[in-house]
Amino acid sequence: MGTRWSEFERMFNTMDLLQNRMNRLYPGLGRTGVFPSIWDVSQGGPRANLYDSGDHLKMLIEVPGIAKEDLNIKVQGNYLEISGSRKSDAPEGYSAQRVERGTTEFTRSVTLPSDVDTNKVEAHLTNGILTLKLPKAETAKPKQISIG
Amino acid sequence: MSDRADMVKREESMPERSREIPAVAPFVDIYENESEILLHADMPGVDKNDITINVDNGKLSLGGVRKIETAGAVQWEEFESVEYQRTFSVPQSIDIGKINAELKNGVLCLHLPKSEAAKPRRIEIKTS
Repeated sequence: MGTRWSEFERMFNTMDLLQNRMNRLYPGLGRTGVFPSIWDVSQGGPRANLYDSGDHLKMLIEVPGIAKEDLNIKVQGNYLEISGSRKSDAPEGYSAQRVERGTTEFTRSVTLPSDVDTNKVEAHLTNGILTLKLPKAETAKPKQISIG
Repeated sequence: MSDRADMVKREESMPERSREIPAVAPFVDIYENESEILLHADMPGVDKNDITINVDNGKLSLGGVRKIETAGAVQWEEFESVEYQRTFSVPQSIDIGKINAELKNGVLCLHLPKSEAAKPRRIEIKTS
């Protein structure tokens, strides 16, 4: 029993060594959703984070290289749709040495955990991150229940 | 038996992995013309003040940290705080003093002008 465990140990140690070497060469490799293409096809669009702060929802979307004119946001009830396009910013008269960033059009729709008040939605685009503040509809806000 | 004791000791010597920000290589486009090399790097969420650009001994290294603050209960998080980090070799012909950069919509635009000596020159052929 003791000898077999030590063989596993040796195997894992070698794998760890290889992993460390690979991490040094390609930092971030193997971490899903970080190294491959800007948007993962499986997610169908740019990456987003959604937070629930009680009386409003906050959504952050990663949209580097996109101007606000190229983004469209539609909200209805608990349905949110974001679409946009990322144009090429290749300058005229230059030869391309390496192109990793792509151009693309996307549409991503999400079902929010609660209905939002569409009149009070705010959106800001800073440094390539779109921040949406989605206040919840009155009926969806949490209520304090007092014990009679 | 002694193998087991070693295993236990080895685990203790490994320091606890605190929550460090993962390092990631940003995507870049590199273009070149006669007078400069142009580099576009995707670094969304990084503020101008958190970007470092260093040229040392023929190597250009870009760095930037972005922090994503969680606001409230997390429903889902697809991107997180990261440290962008990437190093390139630059040809000796770059005029380091004239490098300039701008940040727009989360994309870092880096201009690396070529020094005069490196610019291509037309050679006149004289016929006698």
